[in-house]
Amino acid sequence: MHNRFRQCLRKVSLAALTMLALNIPVHAADLVIAMPNWPSGQATANILKVSLKENFGLDADVREMGTLIAFAGLNSGEVDIHPEIWLPNLDNLVKKYVDGAGTVAISPIGVPAWQGICATREAADKFGIHDVSDLSDTKKTAALDTDGDGRGELWIGAEGWSSTAIERVRANSYGYAKTMTLLETPEDAGMAAVDAAVATDHPMVFACYAPHYVFELHDIVRLTEPPFDPAKWKIVLPSEDPLWVSKSSAPVSWDTAHFHIAYATSLRKKYPKVVAFLERFELKPEEITKMSYALQVERQDPYEYAKQWVAAQGARVHGWANP
Amino acid sequence: MFAERGTVRRRSLTAIVAAAFGLVAVAALAAGTQVFDPKSHKWVDYDRTKARKYYAAHNEVPEAFRPQMVKFRTAEVPGTIIIDGNQHFLYLVQPGQRAMRYGIGVGREGFGWAGIVRVGRMAEWPTWTPPAEMVARDPKAVKYAGGMEGGPDNPLGARALYLYERDQDTIYRIHGTPEPWTIGLDVSSGCIRMRNDDIVDLASRVKVGAKVIVLMQGAALYKGV
Repeated sequence: MHNRFRQCLRKVSLAALTMLALNIPVHAADLVIAMPNWPSGQATANILKVSLKENFGLDADVREMGTLIAFAGLNSGEVDIHPEIWLPNLDNLVKKYVDGAGTVAISPIGVPAWQGICATREAADKFGIHDVSDLSDTKKTAALDTDGDGRGELWIGAEGWSSTAIERVRANSYGYAKTMTLLETPEDAGMAAVDAAVATDHPMVFACYAPHYVFELHDIVRLTEPPFDPAKWKIVLPSEDPLWVSKSSAPVSWDTAHFHIAYATSLRKKYPKVVAFLERFELKPEEITKMSYALQVERQDPYEYAKQWVAAQGARVHGWANP
Repeated sequence: MFAERGTVRRRSLTAIVAAAFGLVAVAALAAGTQVFDPKSHKWVDYDRTKARKYYAAHNEVPEAFRPQMVKFRTAEVPGTIIIDGNQHFLYLVQPGQRAMRYGIGVGREGFGWAGIVRVGRMAEWPTWTPPAEMVARDPKAVKYAGGMEGGPDNPLGARALYLYERDQDTIYRIHGTPEPWTIGLDVSSGCIRMRNDDIVDLASRVKVGAKVIVLMQGAALYKGV
């Protein structure tokens, strides 16, 4: 018995080594779901995985990757689904792959979302920062100085996010890029700075998006801005043109955002029922905030959370899968 | 606003002198460090002279810089370290939306580095090797060019937490100090310094591999020691 076990183990190890060496996946999944690096996207990617297994018996691999790589994968067929495509942030990619190449489709139901600039309660109430125009008032923004150079700091997002590039454009267009230091750090560092500011009643201003757990965690105020005007919204992303900064201008609020599931159009032939399911899949902003809080603040495992979520929402999910 | 802050500082100084290093709030003349007074929830300035005087009078740093459990709402897991160089606080996240907060001293000059690293290793009474530029600049450092053994006079103090980015040593350390009055100040050299008792306490609570978030804000951290 012991010997047999060892032999078996050796065979398994050899097989595993061979597969590793040949880079053959140990388990070939039916579908690949791209997973972004933010919590609601991680939750939704896993909810889709669990839902697809339960309702269609399909195995899906959830793989973490950036949005640009995910779009390239959707285009090439290496990726089948992306759980959370933010529009208008990625309008340019949609133009390229959805309208142009026709290899990617966007589910029609979006979750309403917004993006903008936020302030801690302290910054708004004690330092009078209520509107983006206040960010050009150095008397007000000096209170946001944290490195002793007299200029306030403003976290505009993580390096590599398309929203970060757009926030830089907005800062230039509104003019506060001249009066403030724009910071790009990983989101964890940006959010920890909010935590530290709130813990010591220090003011802080930062780029924000909702739904997001930060609104559950702290008392946060959104700055007012001139309304969105498509005629004034001219965005060229860094991935499109190295001169994107000078070619872009956006002295207005973001358009109301929505995020949608995206899928490879090749799924229409391969798994039409899955496509029908993805096109009915609908989450509410409050659910997104809760997911984000559960994963990011309560540290729940995304897959375990997804299993519980799908179990609790069984009838609803079943309804999307079996109209 | 900058001018207004100056006014506020001068006012604070008057208050401090009147308080004769009373209870908590210690303010000062120099630009830079301020002390958060948890009772009044106000910021007051703090400098080297005041720090020395306060320490001489109390044999202790101001209350704000002593270890204390504080309310700290965060999405970070317990065990994570968050370093706020501007306010001279290091937080060790605890369960229940709280954190152990310690006072720190940071480098006076630097480069505004921030980011996410981890505790790569820890050492007790570590050896200190002055960087070549310090040996060249400071005759007192010459005799330690080959390394100064750990001990009560060693600038690294009782413990050092070596900060790594993935598997690479970043050359940043969180360490102790034989000069406890420098806590709360932007001092000329050193990474992130803490009182020896505090770094011993921190090291006992932290695990190798712990996430360390260095906020962009604040007196820039100094590379090397």
